[in-house]
Amino acid sequence: MGQLVVNGLALGSIYALVALGLLMIFNTVQIVNFAQGQLLMLGAFIGITGAVTHELPISLAWLATILAMALIGVMFMLLVYFPLRGRPPFLVVLTTIAMGIVLENLALIIWGPLPVSLPSPVRGAPLRFAGVVVSMHQVAIFGTLAVILLLQFLLLTKTRFGILMQATAQDLHTARLVGIAVNRTIAVAFALGAVLSGIAGLLVAPLFLAEPTMGGSLGLKGFVVSVIGGFGNLSGAVIGGMFLGLIETFGARYISSDFRDAYAFIVMVAFLTAWPRGLLGEKASEKV
Amino acid sequence: MWRNNNFHGGLAAACLLAALSSEAWADAANCPAQIALGLTTALTGNLALLGTQARNGVEFAVDDINAAGGIAGKKLQLSTEDTGASSTDALNAMNRIIEGKPLVIFGSMISPHVFAQTESATKSETPFLVGATNAKVTAQGSKWLFRSHVHDGQLATLIPEYLVKTLHKTKPGIMAVADDYGLGASKGIQAALATLNVLPVAVTSYAPSDKDMSAQLLEIKDKGADSLILFGRPADVTLVMKQMGDLGIKVTTIGNSSLVAQTTLNNLSAAEADGGLAIGGMIPQTSTDAKILDWTKRVQEKYKVPADNFTVSYYDTVYLLKSIIEKVGCDKGAIRDALAATRDWKGLLISYQADSAGDLAHTLGIYRNKGKTPELIGSIKEAGY
Repeated sequence: MGQLVVNGLALGSIYALVALGLLMIFNTVQIVNFAQGQLLMLGAFIGITGAVTHELPISLAWLATILAMALIGVMFMLLVYFPLRGRPPFLVVLTTIAMGIVLENLALIIWGPLPVSLPSPVRGAPLRFAGVVVSMHQVAIFGTLAVILLLQFLLLTKTRFGILMQATAQDLHTARLVGIAVNRTIAVAFALGAVLSGIAGLLVAPLFLAEPTMGGSLGLKGFVVSVIGGFGNLSGAVIGGMFLGLIETFGARYISSDFRDAYAFIVMVAFLTAWPRGLLGEKASEKV
Repeated sequence: MWRNNNFHGGLAAACLLAALSSEAWADAANCPAQIALGLTTALTGNLALLGTQARNGVEFAVDDINAAGGIAGKKLQLSTEDTGASSTDALNAMNRIIEGKPLVIFGSMISPHVFAQTESATKSETPFLVGATNAKVTAQGSKWLFRSHVHDGQLATLIPEYLVKTLHKTKPGIMAVADDYGLGASKGIQAALATLNVLPVAVTSYAPSDKDMSAQLLEIKDKGADSLILFGRPADVTLVMKQMGDLGIKVTTIGNSSLVAQTTLNNLSAAEADGGLAIGGMIPQTSTDAKILDWTKRVQEKYKVPADNFTVSYYDTVYLLKSIIEKVGCDKGAIRDALAATRDWKGLLISYQADSAGDLAHTLGIYRNKGKTPELIGSIKEAGY
């Protein structure tokens, strides 16, 4: 039982990391980026290229990945968001789905179909207590999630830039009229959203290997988690992630492993129907 | 005098050989200048790792044959269509290939795709050579379909037998990928265990996109399994074996060739891989034959992907086709008849023999990982072969 809880929470933390990247963009431009999972995949492969192919120290590979992902985030905005700005949101959302497919196939061409492992940034014997094993990498995932949640919260609520982002999200035209550099704000939001996905990719690859199609399922789970937590709410995303991780793990153990993926979507539909605001957020049906 | 007789004897033998040889090539000489072959396989999507092995095997053989002068001087021309991961796309890919009027079509190892394509291939009256492992693939009643890889029906019988009779394990847990391939095998394994009076302590599965299999592994552990029968693809089998190591689960693990595939072992530590057993299509890495090892190295160098059991079987299939075209020429019906009459045709690692259903492969390898190195324990033949 204890092991299931630990593994469920570790899995949920990964979903929460994906959701935090998703929300960084959503909280600025009100667009759900369905290519967030593929950005995660890119982060994993860029990390592998640095740490495995070019044998860089893992810290340097992480740094290079974070910088590359920031750049990719800005390019993503220029290619996907800017050309369709002002058009119906569903067009942008559809384009993010298309871009996800493009990124997946691009990764297949560049890195090939082989699954590859990335070394963990932390080493050491796993922690053991009462028959429960917690690997150091799982500890690193919990720690990274906590730090990112805190930093993101501080950025959005305690910094001038965070307030600019919120203003941009609430009314883009008014924000521009009052002198906010809207384009720069949006660019930073996309860059940070991609960086968060990249970090999630760097943490996922040592656990689950990296392969070009890894992002599809994780991206969707990130979306589900956001709905459960309450779309737009950072703490809700983390709680939603943990909740979903536990539901999947316990469902697979005690109900049936055949429907593990289905649990996520059953829970999402249940929330949208009975509790559309999610655990801590606004009404999801208005947001999506 | 003796020397003279010997000379004449040799000359006669040479003439006979030349005559036989030219007779053998006489039909092939009537083939078009470019012999068109078609291939549909998954090159994108989440089945790309599997699908590229078919492409690598066929393409490598075609390149080798063309580099050696082709078939009776006629070059092979391969057209490839990507099926992606969808059966609908697989059918569309097949229809595009058929429009090119190929002499022979190679299908992939992905059974749902082959099921979707068989009717079109059959209607076009073109030999359809596949590696798809669902036992029912050759039971569709198509006289044009042949399979050059061992199938799940064979594995589902042999793995439980080996586990119970040789390894003396009587409390197995089963874990399989939840798709046509894995679930079909899981059912077959449960039926085979039942005939051995063994009931699995847990039967679990995971979705092809699943990354965390710890819940299933903990169930198997909690229910006291003394062994694990694992059926999956290299990527997910790697995760299962890694997670077994993380959770400290140490039971005899036996499954399909994915357990000993190089693509699996590359991502495991020696401790995680050690002791894993597999029964399945023959893999080239364990061969002691220098030619096979050189072939394996050349495939790796060209495609940056290690050759596996599928690469071998697709490569063999093209050479089998070459030997048939040399005998019967480029008539589709004659090629089909010759495929159906295949007897003891020697491929890279095994001999092929057609049965009445169209299955050509009946020999499987038994492997065990010593650290990260797979070792061939022995080969095993399907009953009757």
